[in-house]
Amino acid sequence: MVSRRDALKTFGAAAAAPALQLRSEPAQEQTRDAVLVAIAEVVLPGEADRKAAVAAFASWIDNYTEGADTDHGYGNTRIRALGPSPARNYPAQIAALNTAARAKGAASFVAAPVDRRRAIVEQAIADARVERLSARPTGAHIATDLMGHYFNSSIAADLCYRANIARDACRGLPGSEKPPSQLRTSAPGSRSSAIGHRSSDIGNDL
Amino acid sequence: MIFESDVCIIGGGITAAMIAEKLAELKPGTSITIAEAGSRIFDFENRMKYRQRNLEYGENAWAGDFLDDQAATGIISRTMAVGGSALHWGGVTNRFSEEDLTLHSRYGIAVDWPLGWADLERHYCEAERRLGVSAEPGAYAEDHPSQPYPMAPMTPSYNLILLKEWAEKSGILFNGTPQAKNTQPYGGRSQCLRCNTCEICPTGARYSPDFTFKQLLAAGKITLHDQTLVRKLVKSANGRRIESAQAVSRARNGEAVEYRAGTFVLASGYAWSPHLLLLSDAANSSGLVGKYMTGHAFIGGQIELDAKLYPGMNEQHSLISRKFFRCATDVPFVRHDLRVWESSAGRDPRLKDADGKLLLGDAALADWRARTVRGAARVRAYYDVHPAAESALTLDPDKKNKWGDPLPIIRHVLDDKTQARKVATREHIVSIFNLLAKGNNGRVLNVSEGNYLDHPSGGCRMGTDPKTSVCDSYGRTHDHENLFVAGSPTLPTGGCTNATLTFVALALRSAERMLNS
Repeated sequence: MVSRRDALKTFGAAAAAPALQLRSEPAQEQTRDAVLVAIAEVVLPGEADRKAAVAAFASWIDNYTEGADTDHGYGNTRIRALGPSPARNYPAQIAALNTAARAKGAASFVAAPVDRRRAIVEQAIADARVERLSARPTGAHIATDLMGHYFNSSIAADLCYRANIARDACRGLPGSEKPPSQLRTSAPGSRSSAIGHRSSDIGNDL
Repeated sequence: MIFESDVCIIGGGITAAMIAEKLAELKPGTSITIAEAGSRIFDFENRMKYRQRNLEYGENAWAGDFLDDQAATGIISRTMAVGGSALHWGGVTNRFSEEDLTLHSRYGIAVDWPLGWADLERHYCEAERRLGVSAEPGAYAEDHPSQPYPMAPMTPSYNLILLKEWAEKSGILFNGTPQAKNTQPYGGRSQCLRCNTCEICPTGARYSPDFTFKQLLAAGKITLHDQTLVRKLVKSANGRRIESAQAVSRARNGEAVEYRAGTFVLASGYAWSPHLLLLSDAANSSGLVGKYMTGHAFIGGQIELDAKLYPGMNEQHSLISRKFFRCATDVPFVRHDLRVWESSAGRDPRLKDADGKLLLGDAALADWRARTVRGAARVRAYYDVHPAAESALTLDPDKKNKWGDPLPIIRHVLDDKTQARKVATREHIVSIFNLLAKGNNGRVLNVSEGNYLDHPSGGCRMGTDPKTSVCDSYGRTHDHENLFVAGSPTLPTGGCTNATLTFVALALRSAERMLNS
């Protein structure tokens, strides 16, 4: 008998091919990343290092492992595997963005002026019926996935609080009794993007 | 295959590690075999990498730490590996209090434990030393340990300092929560680096049983058989002893394995210990194996307050008040701990504002910043609940593992007195949350109630009367002179705070008796 878990793993292995293909086609990857940069100008704040945020998001996608075991720690008894890569949905979404851009007179989404891109992204999010930012990409839409990936990162939290909290770093104990140092954000691009993700709060404890 | 040893420990979690370590110290040369159904995952060197994968993707940092066909309805963790649940525990090492041992004689509820506080307290000190606990003496004199904690307390984060000032405006005193985390190099492990992911500690600063097992193996003090599932204990002809433990090797395609030992120790936790006894029809002349399954209930909440906090400084370190561990005898009974953490609740970045307007780019950041001007705290109280006899682990006739053994099913049932005071308990705890909130112009954002019992225990409760208990205060079963149950299953009641230290202290106490048996 094949267990649900085995089935997921089998599926994951079978499904991995197209995901890897996305990564192995440089032209396609280039297109994706150019679109991501164009989306980032719309959905990420001007104070953010958008280039680094896009690179971190692309890296997340490229290193996603379908079928990997997920955390089933204390209080969480459900054994699950990571499902299909959210990136499977992106080619169609990118194509739709380009179609919308052409309908508005631009050669492509990337080539459209930023205000037109904003209108296109807003409509795409409405059409996808995305209501909230997920801590991790879901495939619901590439724009909100990029946004959620950034806004839930340690680097974005530092930007929000204007402080070097460095939530996901190993920082040592000395000095932790003082407020974190102030973040200097004089120029975009001054912050590198070390991105990890977590839920906003921690449950019960052993 | 047949293996003989002086002591055979069934289960490879934190109590097994502590018992093995202590037996090896007390009587060098004792042959100790440990049989664990799960695998050994001794890859600490990869922990930082796995932590990163967990942060980014939610991947399991201990791949393969469970058995597909060895699940139970009502359990709290699927982890089955050398190290057990404590592989990824938070490291909280709160003590119970004297009241836990005397509930019946003080308050006329539940049962008393069959040992005295001074005896248990001595073993708390030992457990703290072996695990490496960093803590400060509690704010209330009754809670002071008889021996100093091994390490200075965790440096409180700036957030926690502000939260302590705020919380103590209520008149309730708090301390940093005791933890098995190194604030200095200790036990061959490094100092905490404040990675903020204690369940996946990449530095080894938080105690984990795999360190103990590796040390014992390196010194040749134990034999460890992982991937070996013990399915049955075999009794002697007169039933007074356990002669052998029958197992299967998962690593060798189900090959039969037999363990023969002078002493058998069941250290498989609250679920799998009573489960094996039921499968074996052992230690159950009282009919109480699997009964009185217990734990503690909890109520949590989020409080918003005036304070400039920076969530993420050290999210897993908290404050604790032990004020409510004690309850006067002339007021309605309620006992609970009280914890406070930094929190970002209600302050997450969002895609739409309250009116449904889409927030992109700078607007999203501005909205986020506006909602983080005030700080937030998470609060929680574990409170005392007591089990009815029907609170039971039984064999599930509908679910079997690949060897055909029925799996456990756990259903918690609270006794009548606990149920009768449930509303009053909730009102009391919510009133405490509201009292805390008064400081710094705070307000309670939400209150939620747990729908399960945390830190489960019971199922082989200890006592002096063989008719009303499964084992004595040392975990020795009344029915079989050479069979001990260690740690969590032996608790008659589950206390009102994290229980791991208590499981360990009781197991260490048992170890002394094992050598004398």
